[in-house]
Amino acid sequence: MEEAPNKAELFRARPARLGAWGLLLAGLLALLLGCRGPGAPATEGTTLTFVHGKVLGPSDPLPGLLQEFEARHPGVRVRQETLPSSTDEQHQFYLINLEARTPFDVIAVDVIWVPEFVRAGWLRDLSEVFPPGERPAFLETPREAASVDGRPYGVPWLMDAGVLFYRVDLLARYGFEPPETYAELARQARAIMEGEQDPRLAGFLWQGKQYEGMVVNAFEQIWANGGRVLAPDGRVTVERPEVVEALGFMRRLITSGVSPGWVTAADEELSRRSFNAGRAVFHRNWPYAIDLFEARDSPIRGKVGMTRLPRHPGGERVSALGGWSLTIPRGSRHPEAAWELISFLTGEHAQKAMALGAGFKPTRHALYQDPELTRYQPYLPSLYPLMQAARPRPVTPYYLMISQILQPEWSAVLVGIKSPEAAVASAKVRLLHLLGQSR
Amino acid sequence: MTRRPGAWPFLLPAVVVLGAIQLYPTLAVFWLSLERRIPVFEVAEFVGLANYRFLLEDPRFWQALGTTAYFTVVSVGLELLWGGGIALLLHRRRRLRGLLLAGFLLPWALPGVVSAKMFEWLLYPDGGLVNSLLGAAGGPAGINWLGDPAWAIHAVILADAWRTTPFVLLLVLAGLELIPHEVHEAAAVDGAGRWRGFVHVTLPLLAPVLGVALLIRTIDALRVFDVIYVLTGGGPAGTTETLTVYAYRTFFGTLQFGYGAALAVATLLAALILAGGYLRLVAPATRPAAEGA
Repeated sequence: MEEAPNKAELFRARPARLGAWGLLLAGLLALLLGCRGPGAPATEGTTLTFVHGKVLGPSDPLPGLLQEFEARHPGVRVRQETLPSSTDEQHQFYLINLEARTPFDVIAVDVIWVPEFVRAGWLRDLSEVFPPGERPAFLETPREAASVDGRPYGVPWLMDAGVLFYRVDLLARYGFEPPETYAELARQARAIMEGEQDPRLAGFLWQGKQYEGMVVNAFEQIWANGGRVLAPDGRVTVERPEVVEALGFMRRLITSGVSPGWVTAADEELSRRSFNAGRAVFHRNWPYAIDLFEARDSPIRGKVGMTRLPRHPGGERVSALGGWSLTIPRGSRHPEAAWELISFLTGEHAQKAMALGAGFKPTRHALYQDPELTRYQPYLPSLYPLMQAARPRPVTPYYLMISQILQPEWSAVLVGIKSPEAAVASAKVRLLHLLGQSR
Repeated sequence: MTRRPGAWPFLLPAVVVLGAIQLYPTLAVFWLSLERRIPVFEVAEFVGLANYRFLLEDPRFWQALGTTAYFTVVSVGLELLWGGGIALLLHRRRRLRGLLLAGFLLPWALPGVVSAKMFEWLLYPDGGLVNSLLGAAGGPAGINWLGDPAWAIHAVILADAWRTTPFVLLLVLAGLELIPHEVHEAAAVDGAGRWRGFVHVTLPLLAPVLGVALLIRTIDALRVFDVIYVLTGGGPAGTTETLTVYAYRTFFGTLQFGYGAALAVATLLAALILAGGYLRLVAPATRPAAEGA
């Protein structure tokens, strides 16, 4: 008789305890949700998530700029999410997160991703918000690279174009003008190397490691010879003699000793450091390098010239377009505020700050003549025509896949285990397979 | 094996967990490998074995398979030699042993990416420490460690062996400690010298441990990724591209999830076949030792 109430109590205790747990859980959940600004009702205003690669320059003006933006837009806060600087890793990050519709508000995308991301339906069309009257203030090539079928999906934030650096002092000593053709470059490099009698002095440094940067170098050589991997109408033209010759020339740079063998392992920084230490006559890189060559402790300070990349006979002096644009992903919950942030960050004031602090190269025409900016970066006006001559890599949603096909093939040519003819033949088969064209 | 009636409820959690984190993903990847699927472009169609047919004709796959095999054989061989050798030396030593052991184990504690980055700096062709030292010692100047197909694969193997040798060292050292003194004494009494003692007593008693080390390291080496991804990215000319690197690039570089899955399944099959072979070799060696101990 005594046991009965006890049992009953026990049984009753259970739901009570469950209820307590439930309450606790609910409390925790509420706490968690409360912490997540974007999910909460908009009484506190909006929080924008801004995702971008790490800013590598001498200083990072971005946090200061974002504070300024917040001060100008009461109720809007910006949360930065910084990714590693490598473009491949960022691409992978976006692949996973944009496919999962993570609610980012503004993201910085590499020029080569735009067609792919648009085709995947990840980016918002900015036609309605980007006033047509403001568009011509930006350089045309990066603006087009951020558009698909004439509709803007992003605003150019910073841009890049391959340039040729050369040692003014060495060229002057031998009475040379900066080379206009690659044959001239090779001839000058050999003469200077012979004359200087310095075994550590290399002729021409560029990027030949198996990665995207090497593909960029190869595109520049191929274009300089009048060739194309894909014709403008999308046909595969990789087997054309202009392409074969250009690749053969790159290999010969190494075999003839104009470029050291290790360019086949070089990325931007490895080759830049060597040139920066005074151990090369010519160097192909992006304009960011000039700020480092002109740094106070640089051994080649004041001895570096910058000009357009040379050409081959029958080709033109072009370089590859690089750079990043700001875009709004589909998953954004605050597209209006996101647009405000984009227009602030791509505005003259913010671009100027990024140029001075982080060495970003501007995307607005006006800044290349800006008196304040050119006082600190006197090379800007001479960079302007180089930037305008930049050409985008094949504009197709399949670009990254194409690059993956070209990388091992071109690398095989550079290290000499495949002839250019064999490499383009095998690249052609794979490109046709990828693009679904018949042989 | 005796069947106990009450075993299932106890086994169930393990079975469920293993099923969820092992079996289900494996089957899902296999299913994926039967599709042509580029999710971001909303391409998804069932293609049966087409991916496997393409794989058989894909020279890049065969090259990756060959590279993986070469990498595995050479790096595991080096690790066994170095790990075993250092273990033998440490086993005899009493003084400073803890300190030395800690020093030797350090590389294993480093994340693979960090040690790969370190080797990248050491092996820089222009101004890297290794080339500077070689130059100063009058050796060959300016070896293109990571850009020359003949050197690159060996540079990668070296970096991997450096990091994983401590694991073999630890296993072999433990194995050596387990061999009773009496056995060595008996061999000495019977007139066996150091070499004969090593070959006929130490080595056979160590065989099970060596077998286990070999098995674990081989399967690990087959799946190598971080060292190669950081050091060479698979280059030059794809000569250091292993199956996992190729699968990764197919997945995330070219977004071809179906074909990437087929590559992953091929890697899994290679590991299974090897593991099966090893187990047949190692298992008979383990049993008598286990009973003897």
